Amino acid sequence: METTVRIPAPLRTLTGGKDEVIAAGATVGELIEDLDKKHPGLKDRLLDDKGVRRFVNIYVGEEDVRFLDGLKTEVRAGDKVSIVPAIAGG
Amino acid sequence: MKALVVGVGGIGCPCAIALARAGVSLRLCDDDVVDASNLHRQILFDESSVGKPKLDEGARALRAMGAEVETFATRFLPHRARELIDGCDVVVEGADNFPTKFLVADACTLAKVPVVHAAAVRMHGTVLAVARGGKPCYRCVFEDLPGEAPTCETAGVLGPMVGVIGALQADLALAFLAGADAGGTFVSYDASRDSLRRTRMHGRGDCALCTGRIDDLDERRYIG
Repeated sequence: METTVRIPAPLRTLTGGKDEVIAAGATVGELIEDLDKKHPGLKDRLLDDKGVRRFVNIYVGEEDVRFLDGLKTEVRAGDKVSIVPAIAGG
Repeated sequence: MKALVVGVGGIGCPCAIALARAGVSLRLCDDDVVDASNLHRQILFDESSVGKPKLDEGARALRAMGAEVETFATRFLPHRARELIDGCDVVVEGADNFPTKFLVADACTLAKVPVVHAAAVRMHGTVLAVARGGKPCYRCVFEDLPGEAPTCETAGVLGPMVGVIGALQADLALAFLAGADAGGTFVSYDASRDSLRRTRMHGRGDCALCTGRIDDLDERRYIG
């Protein structure tokens, strides 16, 4: 199943400037693996050996996957996945 | 009602105006001076402000609107935190660096004062409202200092972005002052899509701050 993933500005250097990309997978973890094949380096920016990096939030719809099932969170048809990193500035 | 405004910058300016116009007394802390490159987004200042302390220029502009304003010519530092927070009903923070954001988060949760964190880089901004005592707090969401992340200094910010984010920050601060249960509200705004997402964060069971493992403001914890 293919899902639209919203890419935040700091990571768009890895997606050729695209703010949305398509990835395949039934779970968030599978989506990230597929993203990394298409856009090498993304996985490393999102995950460390413990899972989702501590200063990154990944949403399925309106819910942070930390409060769902983490990387095992299921992605269903029509879901939108968004990546929201910590930012400082103003 | 009194609000501490940490940093009179791009977000602090519009937030302070909104709070002042709502009748909230302000305490400002900042140690920076106005640079010409600030003027596109720091709307309390004009060309005559360049080279002058943001604190003085900001306070002057806010007092001209009828606001009651106290000033502290300092950054938000561990040894000044308690003094700055004491007597305030809410804190609004729009710092341009992560050490300050985490320090404000820790200080406010330990002091049991609600805080609204805000940030904007390029065309993206976020706001997080933390109730007194946290759960969730800033550390529940972002845990600890990132090794590397873009800031306005490295990535820039679109002028109107900070206006939107500062207004959202003031809205949540006023919600706290009105007694509303705003804790955990997280707003993410992407100006490139004109997309605003508002969600409710939850506390993280192993959060170092909410579980009491962080119980002081040891300055070594805030080295970026």
